Amino acid sequence: MIIYSQLAIHNSQIAIHPMTRISLKIVGASGQGINSIGEIVAKGLKRAGYCVFGYREYPSLIKGGHASYQLDCSNERIRSTETQVNVLLALNHHGLEHNLRDLKPGGIIVHDTLGWKFPPADKEFLHTHQITAISIPLEDILKRLQAKPILGNVLLAAFLWAALGQDKEVLKALVGERFAKKKNLLELNMKCIEEGFSFHREMGQVEKPKTKNQKPVIPRLSLPPPDPVWKDHLLVTGSQAMGLGAMHAGVRLYAGYPMTPSSPLLSFIADLQNETGMVLKQAEDEITAAQIVTGAMFMGARALTATSGGGFDLMSETLSLNGILENPTVFVLAQRPGPATGLPTWTAQGDLLMAIHTAHGEFARCVLAVSDSQDAFDLMPVAFNLAEQYQISVIVLTDKQIAEVLYTQTPYDQTKATLERGKLVTDTKRLAALKSVDRYDPAAQDGISLRWLPGSNAATYCGQGDEHNADGTVDETAKNAKEQMEKRMRKLETLKSALPEPELWRMDNGQWKIDNDGSVDVLLVGWGSTKDTVLDALQELHHNSQFAIRNLGYLHYTYLWPLKTDRLEALAKKAKKSILVEQNYQGQLGVLIRQECGLEINEKILKYDGRPFFVDELVELIRAKLQFPTID
Amino acid sequence: MPISLDTTGPGPSMKDYHCQTQCTWCDACGDYGVWTAIKRALVELKLAPWQVLLCYDVGCHGNMSDKLLGYRAHGLHGRVLPFAAGAKLANMQVPVIAFGGDGASFSEGVGHLVHAIRSNYPITFILHNNANYGLTLGQASALTWQDQPMNASPNGIPEHTLQSMEFVFALEPTFVARGFSGNIPQLTEIFKAAILHQKHGFAFVDVLQACPTYNHFATHEYFLEHCYDVNAEGHDPTNLERGRAIAIDTSKRISTGILYEREDVPSFYDRLVPRKNVTTTCVEEVSIKDVSALWGDLV
Repeated sequence: MIIYSQLAIHNSQIAIHPMTRISLKIVGASGQGINSIGEIVAKGLKRAGYCVFGYREYPSLIKGGHASYQLDCSNERIRSTETQVNVLLALNHHGLEHNLRDLKPGGIIVHDTLGWKFPPADKEFLHTHQITAISIPLEDILKRLQAKPILGNVLLAAFLWAALGQDKEVLKALVGERFAKKKNLLELNMKCIEEGFSFHREMGQVEKPKTKNQKPVIPRLSLPPPDPVWKDHLLVTGSQAMGLGAMHAGVRLYAGYPMTPSSPLLSFIADLQNETGMVLKQAEDEITAAQIVTGAMFMGARALTATSGGGFDLMSETLSLNGILENPTVFVLAQRPGPATGLPTWTAQGDLLMAIHTAHGEFARCVLAVSDSQDAFDLMPVAFNLAEQYQISVIVLTDKQIAEVLYTQTPYDQTKATLERGKLVTDTKRLAALKSVDRYDPAAQDGISLRWLPGSNAATYCGQGDEHNADGTVDETAKNAKEQMEKRMRKLETLKSALPEPELWRMDNGQWKIDNDGSVDVLLVGWGSTKDTVLDALQELHHNSQFAIRNLGYLHYTYLWPLKTDRLEALAKKAKKSILVEQNYQGQLGVLIRQECGLEINEKILKYDGRPFFVDELVELIRAKLQFPTID
Repeated sequence: MPISLDTTGPGPSMKDYHCQTQCTWCDACGDYGVWTAIKRALVELKLAPWQVLLCYDVGCHGNMSDKLLGYRAHGLHGRVLPFAAGAKLANMQVPVIAFGGDGASFSEGVGHLVHAIRSNYPITFILHNNANYGLTLGQASALTWQDQPMNASPNGIPEHTLQSMEFVFALEPTFVARGFSGNIPQLTEIFKAAILHQKHGFAFVDVLQACPTYNHFATHEYFLEHCYDVNAEGHDPTNLERGRAIAIDTSKRISTGILYEREDVPSFYDRLVPRKNVTTTCVEEVSIKDVSALWGDLV
């Protein structure tokens, strides 16, 4: 692995991990086209046979501000970002100023700021780290081609493509697809590709600069041999994955109010509405979105809304309403750092306890968290099934990291999901036999009573927001209040017994596998998007023979409420050390675990600066917890 | 199941909507009139209780939710409109009627009212307008007159009274009517028209009603003296300018009846491009879908 191969320059005793990763970072102002270069190169690499992990950082601005798009790739499964990169492409001088030290020794910096003079300290850095700086006269080339500045992105992508030693035709095909509907631009784009390649060729001809005017040679960027398995994979963001999952689950109506990082889901579903035939409403606020979805689910459709923390605060009263109506609903809560507006375009796991506790009164709900593009798809049908089976609200947690990371994703298996609607009555004969009091019958042993839909030819009932008796008539008697509360809360017990325990991930023959019967010496515990980086970091630690403790495992919580702790308690008892890994200040899962079973996980790795865990960073943090000998 | 709004043929009776729960409103409350008229209107439209969804806001009027039959929802204060809109968009075959008070509709839920009218959702909204918050014991609403001592406003309200009809007309509604809870036959006709308007969009019905406990100005007697039937006087509801003028000016007489209606503006649902030529409802379309055709661009 590159982290240690890099360190190996200084310490040859360190074993090199079999996984080789390479990373490229494109930096510039928001709106300069960073994303389009990133997406083109990512798709190209994936089609060439590489697993790509794309990560974006950007400020809350439409244009301007410093933004980046990083691609980490390998011929093996890769699910994290490094802090240090092999190639830096800087679209403006801010990149040269701010990101120079993101480069690894031997790295390359490519930029188009002609005449840029690196300050002495930077020059020294370039020299000692053997970094090659290449400036491309982008403006001149574009002027010669009579092309608009935006086309520079394709030219730069082509240069990168050439530097990676990749096939020009693959890139041409890709750009062709992208501009299929803009024929007039296609030709110019192709010219830009040629220019990017020929510039690279010219540079490459200078083997050894003899005079100081000669440009330096471009070092070869050696990618590991490609693996064709990745070619047919999808490149999806977590938002796209979740959108596809929702459509797969049978969601027919989406209502939402724009709020990062939930907005990409709104856009994705909106952009496909003509294909899916879905009803889409951009609501006037999050309360409206939640109410529209509540009404649509009450009527019997599958409907979805998504928001971030602030919007979810506004939805909480509606969540409480759904609790007493026993109305199945699904809310996506895409986390970002708070409080208040906080860090709008950054990531966090700070809303777990809110998701579990928000909204007045006591009622049953389910909280689950997706961790990547696989979960984001698979868990949408699961969430709707749980909502309908238990007649509860299900809150699906995601975060900015998942919402916007570009994942290399195996095409989805669509045979797994089934439609489970629980005690929903639709059969004409059964409908005719229903009595109004069946709807909220407090005698239901599992707390779940029969449900049928408005418009069904049957006895009617009231979905009553006041405390009510079995048919929805307001009933404030002590006996009824107790009975109905107990009925609704029984569902939580029923649900808890049905939910799966967290999954134990262990390394087996160099491969990750879920091994729920195993035991480990070092147990990491986490949830959500940290899983990806934890797995990559543990893989790194596992393969490093210098470290004595080989039996590392990760316990991943998908279902966070009601919380199951049996497996955790058993594993923690046997493990020499348990470590909590979360992206919040309090260690919220830890708080919850202690609340539910008394287990206190004292070792914590917590991050709350808006950035996700980077793999090299996490390796060091875990190593420090394990008191492994330091390197160099 | 499709439900026809056809009014011919045998249908339900008032008894079908009857419910055992006893009314809890004050004597002479205007809610009794609305309660009777809505049942009457549904019966005359030949709609059985199982064919409709009645959605209630929170307030005295919301206590109607368990005083009649039909599929009903009694939700949160101020939020009845988006709930009703969501329900309707999910199943366009079911007539959806939303009820709300002036307190909720012009304060806590005023944003929803604005967007419901401009969205032209295919639902009916019946405003129980007694110009105060009755259930919380007589505080001023946005529609309470100035200079009236109210609970929590012993000196009267310092704010302007919101001119509700000017407000509503500014939002380019497609149906505006006003009724009086003491004139049940007329109210029934208005409700019927407002329910039938669902095929064109959002119907706004302002029902002036007495609050014998807290509103000592606009009493039942006051309404009896001041209300007149515009349609009986030959008002043409397609005349926007005239409709608006008689809706707003209540200085001498109060216009009731169908003040304004247009049928040429498509409803929110009818404007949805993806739903053009779709004959099924969202409710009927729930199933596990093959989405592989949608990820083609992502490979």
